[in-house]
Amino acid sequence: MKRMLILLLIAFLAMGTVFATGSKEVAKEDGPVTLRLSWWGGDSRHTPTLAAMDAYMAKNPNVKLEGEYGGWDGYYQKLVTQIAGGTAADIIQIDQPWLAELSSKGDVFTVIDDSMVDLSQFDAAFLKNYCSYDGKLMGLPTGTNVNTFVVDTKMLADFGIDPNTKWTWENIISEGKKINEQDPSSYFSGATPDNLRAWLEIYIAQLAGAVVDDNKQVAFTEAQGTEAFTYFKRWFDEGIIAPFRQTSLFYQKFQENPDWINGKMAAARIFVSSMEKDFAGRPNFETRQFPVMDGAVNTGILMRPSQIFVVNNNSKNKDEAIKLLAYLFTDAEAIEKLGLARGIPSTAIGRSVLAEKGMISEMVEKATNEGIAQAGDPQSVYQMNSEVIQVMQDVIDEFGFGRLTPEEASAKLIKNLEATLASL
Amino acid sequence: MLKRSQKNYTYTGYLYILPWVIGFLLLQLVPLVNSLWYSFTQFQLLGDPKFLGLANYKKIFTADATFLQSLKVTFYYVLIAVPLKIGFALLVAIILNQKIKGINLFRTLYYIPSILGGSVAISVLWKYLFMNQGVINNIIATIGIPAIDWLGNPSLALGTISLVTIWQFGSSMLLFLAGLKQIPVSLYEAARIDGAGRMRIFFKITIPELSPIVLFNLIMQMINAFQDFTSAFVITQGGPLKSTYLYGLMLYDQGFKFFKMGYASALSWILFAIILFFTSLTFRSSESWVHYGDSI
Repeated sequence: MKRMLILLLIAFLAMGTVFATGSKEVAKEDGPVTLRLSWWGGDSRHTPTLAAMDAYMAKNPNVKLEGEYGGWDGYYQKLVTQIAGGTAADIIQIDQPWLAELSSKGDVFTVIDDSMVDLSQFDAAFLKNYCSYDGKLMGLPTGTNVNTFVVDTKMLADFGIDPNTKWTWENIISEGKKINEQDPSSYFSGATPDNLRAWLEIYIAQLAGAVVDDNKQVAFTEAQGTEAFTYFKRWFDEGIIAPFRQTSLFYQKFQENPDWINGKMAAARIFVSSMEKDFAGRPNFETRQFPVMDGAVNTGILMRPSQIFVVNNNSKNKDEAIKLLAYLFTDAEAIEKLGLARGIPSTAIGRSVLAEKGMISEMVEKATNEGIAQAGDPQSVYQMNSEVIQVMQDVIDEFGFGRLTPEEASAKLIKNLEATLASL
Repeated sequence: MLKRSQKNYTYTGYLYILPWVIGFLLLQLVPLVNSLWYSFTQFQLLGDPKFLGLANYKKIFTADATFLQSLKVTFYYVLIAVPLKIGFALLVAIILNQKIKGINLFRTLYYIPSILGGSVAISVLWKYLFMNQGVINNIIATIGIPAIDWLGNPSLALGTISLVTIWQFGSSMLLFLAGLKQIPVSLYEAARIDGAGRMRIFFKITIPELSPIVLFNLIMQMINAFQDFTSAFVITQGGPLKSTYLYGLMLYDQGFKFFKMGYASALSWILFAIILFFTSLTFRSSESWVHYGDSI
């Protein structure tokens, strides 16, 4: 009997494992003019956002604003759980790939139209390509975020490489290898496994247009895949990139790699929005154009909103929420208070107010403009799907650890992508 | 028939456990039943679950290579971490059972890692200790050993992660220590008079007398190890090459990265079955190796 009891108690303990899915919470009904805003970021974003919210409350005493903010890690997981439980904030900052992922699962966000916010302030194509789902505008882009290629000019010069080199896929290898040849612990590229995935996506986009197209199909051939993997195998063989066993620990956090911080890696593909953080205190970075192959179908260089603000469709105060959005995006006072907390603003008035006040950093502006000039077609929602990304990453990991030849990697990537795409 | 006063007494008893019962029903039983239901559905968190029958389970067992990899890693992890942790806890308990000056201080110090728990901060610390340019490699460099990719080498990473678990041996150690105190001194005296050596005394008296505690520790640590998540999530994110992709991590990815809650629920019920199986097995086997005081 006692033993049964102990078994039963242990069984309950073990049942802790089945809490992967929680129960739904009942939505709380807040007062009619309390609005909650959620966003992720660092202090450089929190402080200006809270200041802009204070200014709004001073102007609109009937509205009480509550900020729910924190870091990036776990933000999406928490958000989706909140949306499912009906407890998400009224105004939510989301990352661009989530817009389609979440909208595909129901009417999660409020549709925004010209009668609510002055949409002429935004670039129409930008709204259509990046902020809409099923032809409807679901959110407003905070700023323009682009991929940029940065090089440490001093480090390049120290290794006898012309810092003003115009980069091509070929001279990344022929010039870049000089670094590792002279110092076996230093490399041209700071790429971690996830960065290499991004590079591969750029390369395949230039060869074939995309990795996965809008029709949910793999867009490249096995031969093109092999060509791409063969090229990147040279990155490993010729010392352009550090072996994965040294960098895999910094998955999605290449800027935390001591080798990067200590200036043992010279170049990286980054997003402008995280440029300051990615530089990790190194002073000599400059932005450069990405390599583009002759006859490229698409440059593959990413451009997307820094973030998107959406209004929760479940909000009890949608009208008030949209009014607040309009204020944050188009009111000169709010624009000034927010500054560059979310990158260079995507509204015309936002850019002109900040330019007038001299608040736009020259480097960020240059990188953004260069990125926009070089930007390729938007990635399909399927290519941005988190499962598809995982499939690509798994194959790249195996390839990077030398478990797959370029031919095998290409075949496996196509096979696994097809299987995953079919299940979406 | 119960007398009125006895009845009242019974109700009072129920009243006392009512908060727990309510908590259990709402916070445990409902989610449990829900997750069992979800495991037969396609449920993406947003929107309603769609009934699929056994499709999730079928896919897990027939078409999910990650499941097998993750299961393999988890078994290795349990096999490495649990015996080593228990062995280490026992060893330290025996040392701390000696009459040494300042023993309480040592006991406290050795328990500290367990207070810190399997927290994120500890995992981050571990990452910085064992990374390529970390403290451990710096120490071994001073004696001329070249840097080792503790966390970057697929063959070493799981062992390194297991060290975090093993290091947190404090609670098992405390139980052993309490157990050691319970062993009657007369048994040791009698054995010594009969001429038994230290090793013989250890294996013939200490171990059998501690065996109920070994059983308890074994089961608790096994359950914990099967469900472990934090260190692998924070330090290696399951990599390199999924060599530290513990079951808990796969469950999390399916549920909260890909939002396949139905699939994740099915995975968690499979884990539950696995844990139940091994727990029962351990219980069954205990009849032949666990000695309760009254059965000697």
